[in-house]
Amino acid sequence: MTTERTARPEIAAMDGNSALPRRSGELVFHDEWERRAFAMAVSLAEQGRFEWSAFQRQLIEAVAHAEADDPLHPSRGYYESWLAALEAVLAERQLLQVPAAA
Amino acid sequence: MSEHDHGHRHDTPPNPYHSSERSEEHNRVLTERVAKLEALLVDKGLVDKAALDKLVELYENDLGPMNGAKVVARAWVDPDYKRRLLEHMVVVENTPEVHNLVVCTLCSCYPWPVLGLPPTWYKDAAYRSRVVIDPRGVLADFGTEVSDDVEVRVWDSSAEIRYLVLPERPAGTEDMSEERLAELVERDAMIGVRKVLAA
Repeated sequence: MTTERTARPEIAAMDGNSALPRRSGELVFHDEWERRAFAMAVSLAEQGRFEWSAFQRQLIEAVAHAEADDPLHPSRGYYESWLAALEAVLAERQLLQVPAAA
Repeated sequence: MSEHDHGHRHDTPPNPYHSSERSEEHNRVLTERVAKLEALLVDKGLVDKAALDKLVELYENDLGPMNGAKVVARAWVDPDYKRRLLEHMVVVENTPEVHNLVVCTLCSCYPWPVLGLPPTWYKDAAYRSRVVIDPRGVLADFGTEVSDDVEVRVWDSSAEIRYLVLPERPAGTEDMSEERLAELVERDAMIGVRKVLAA
């Protein structure tokens, strides 16, 4: 496995509703689980388990879903939508037999 | 875009992203959900805990403004990076008489070897066109006060020349260590849309 030296532009430069939350250019994570969820998606894409664009499509859909009622007050935070997108793409690729969510 | 009407939103998402918006209970549930998923992926050999840590570190460090020491160290170990760094980078200094502001009217040329990736608003057509016509208005949008007797210079980046603003050192920082001072310097000040504040 090769380690990428730099952040991937297609991840870092996502814009619109899938843009990564930032403060002064730096990524903002509020809780450790957000970091883990972020890293899992990036790691799997870097290993070619799925195309980044496939994940991003799910992410855009998940964020749009959260913003459907009120864009200024989404029903869940960005990384919650991120997690939903990750689970969706994993299911789509049948990478995991995820037990049905409780 | 409408979110550029106000100076402070820009690349910081609105409050729903903040953990304070989530209850402790909800956060605990999410923590468990992610831990379970990670355990499954580790089990299947799809991800590696140490590799995940490294990735987070890479993205946290690589996307934001870099400090001088990081820039130098990176230039030592990465010849490509060094070449880009040395490619015509110009530093313009803010003084009590002159305030400098950087834009790329054509696209989004940016001194990214030093500052990381540009903020979204930097690439926005609204910023790129308006900063040339009404730089003081743009500064006001960012909440930056520049008095009328200060000359405002706008520097248009290109593929050949990238500009970095050396902000004015704020008053009241005479006793601060270099480390403390470095913490005050935000990316926006190095583009010139904000000043460095002492607090």
